[in-house]
Amino acid sequence: MNGDLDAIRRLAGPTIAALEASRSRIDDLNVYPVPDGDTGTNLTLTVRAVQEALEQLDDADRERLAHEIARAALMGARGNSGVILSQIVRGFADVVGHASVIDSPALARAFRSASDAAYRAVRKPVEGTMLTVIRELAEEAEAQARPDLAVADLLRALVRRGEDALSRTPEHLEILRQAGVVDAGGAGLLELVRGLTAAVTGEAPAEPPPGLEDVGLDAIHQELSQYRYCTVFVVEGDGLDRDAVERELEPLGDSLMVVGDESALKVHVHTDDPGAALSLGAAAGVLEGIEIANMHRQTEQRESRLLELVPDPRETEVVAVVAGEGNARLFRSLGVTSIVEGGQSMNPSTADILAAVDATSAPGVVVLPNNSNVILSAEQAAAHAAKPVLVVGTRSIPAGVAAMVAYDGTRAAADNATEMADAVAGVATGAVTTASRAVQLDGLAVDAGAFLGLLEGEPVAGGQAFDEVAAAVVARLLAEPREVLTLLTGESAPPLNGLLGRIAESHPEVEVDVQDGGQPHYQLLLSAE
Amino acid sequence: MDFVLASSDLGRVAITGDAVAQIVGLTAAECYGVVGTTTTGRLGRLLARDRTTRGIEVSGDEHGLSIALHVVVEHGLNLAEVASTVSNRVAYEVGRMTGLEISAVEVHIDAVKASA
Repeated sequence: MNGDLDAIRRLAGPTIAALEASRSRIDDLNVYPVPDGDTGTNLTLTVRAVQEALEQLDDADRERLAHEIARAALMGARGNSGVILSQIVRGFADVVGHASVIDSPALARAFRSASDAAYRAVRKPVEGTMLTVIRELAEEAEAQARPDLAVADLLRALVRRGEDALSRTPEHLEILRQAGVVDAGGAGLLELVRGLTAAVTGEAPAEPPPGLEDVGLDAIHQELSQYRYCTVFVVEGDGLDRDAVERELEPLGDSLMVVGDESALKVHVHTDDPGAALSLGAAAGVLEGIEIANMHRQTEQRESRLLELVPDPRETEVVAVVAGEGNARLFRSLGVTSIVEGGQSMNPSTADILAAVDATSAPGVVVLPNNSNVILSAEQAAAHAAKPVLVVGTRSIPAGVAAMVAYDGTRAAADNATEMADAVAGVATGAVTTASRAVQLDGLAVDAGAFLGLLEGEPVAGGQAFDEVAAAVVARLLAEPREVLTLLTGESAPPLNGLLGRIAESHPEVEVDVQDGGQPHYQLLLSAE
Repeated sequence: MDFVLASSDLGRVAITGDAVAQIVGLTAAECYGVVGTTTTGRLGRLLARDRTTRGIEVSGDEHGLSIALHVVVEHGLNLAEVASTVSNRVAYEVGRMTGLEISAVEVHIDAVKASA
């Protein structure tokens, strides 16, 4: 009676291959019930247990074959999806094992039995999962099946219905919709049906419709597990004490399972110290079948696979010349890709700026020099760059910040440059620095080392008292009605309490935003818009 | 027993052990393979008026919440895998909803039942 065994082996090969081919894609879809990215792997391990059983069997009648397959699926079940699959297999095998002829109606009964078996084992079935997919497959099979419908045609119809059911899983399950994915277990089940159909029809497996199982960017952010290593091993020995082994392992981690009898115990634990778990096991008996998986690595691998799938949608990137760590952070937070260190008295070279431009990947680039002395180098760099580079001639850090507010990476570089220049034009900028030499200012002498207030780069105030000079600059900046005053504090900035108190008194309507800029030379950079 | 979720100048946000047990009970009911929860002893049976939280014990210390639950599993399933899923999912859901550290989830399979 080897006909059945041969036939099943012939069908099982392509069925399992279809699942294995999609294993890592299915891992990536996994956000439910726990987002640990292992559904594809668990399903694959479960069906491999069935495959191994088939390889070892010889000479079996159909009923015993069905029984052995169901048993292999049960024993080999891994993870939540594997357990559900083992029930589906059992329900399916129950019918097929007793059928004298496997035609469309028998197949429909098998799918119904599989669906019922799957639903039986849970008190509150969650829709939008494998359960929904197997139920809809059963419904479709029952609706289509007639004795004169070829099994191959029924299976083709089931693949289509399965694809449809899978694509609707996010409608049932909110977590899938949020993550922008379809259900991983359902996707695995569909692969098995696709593979089985291909094996029966002799056709290549149908390609999934485009977009159906695309993994959304949000799926990356589903995270989990405080312990690093999933550790599994078997302890063999005489008179093993299950409770004692469990007690000893308990403090090492979570998800602890110790099952078996006096002669063999299977241990599963999530821990940061797999060595300690193995030592405890080795003290009790002989270790077998040790498997240690780095769960964080699994999650990281999944994240990097997903990130590779995300195209960079930017048309325009920004290179900014910035002095001060705080300012660099500020510009990065506003969307600048590349920072070139530099500013007053440490102007970057054309080559520095060019290197930063070359490091961008978008088709167009905007450069913000943020200092009048840097504009020329920026324009030189733009002229020599391999792609379109536009310079928005910002003369100060605050002007650069104002420009970044108008930046939109999805627009072309020329559009960005226009918008950003307009934004700069609407902003008044000022600064407080230290006079490097004595200057004459409207008849007022400012000594070297005294504070010097600048408006749009021109000296407007000077003196020994920081608060006085800064307040004079603020008064000029707020001469016209303004809404927001931004202050970027330098690396040697005095306390601003006095200044802020004055502003609150004289201009209560203005919103004041203080940022730690960390730039050298300028105690304070200001912009009003 | 109350567990503090957050404190600020305005006051504390606390969650009762009963509320945590509700989350555990609702989550466990959705776990594949679980067809019921049970109580451990006579006292538990008398006290547990609420079907959702029976068979669920919640305690806590400085290391976090410790949860124990007693479940009935469908016959013919891989018990180790079902228990591991229940434990993972309960830890994940309670952690996600409360933000509390979960130090232990103990799953006791008290019975195996053939429901068909």
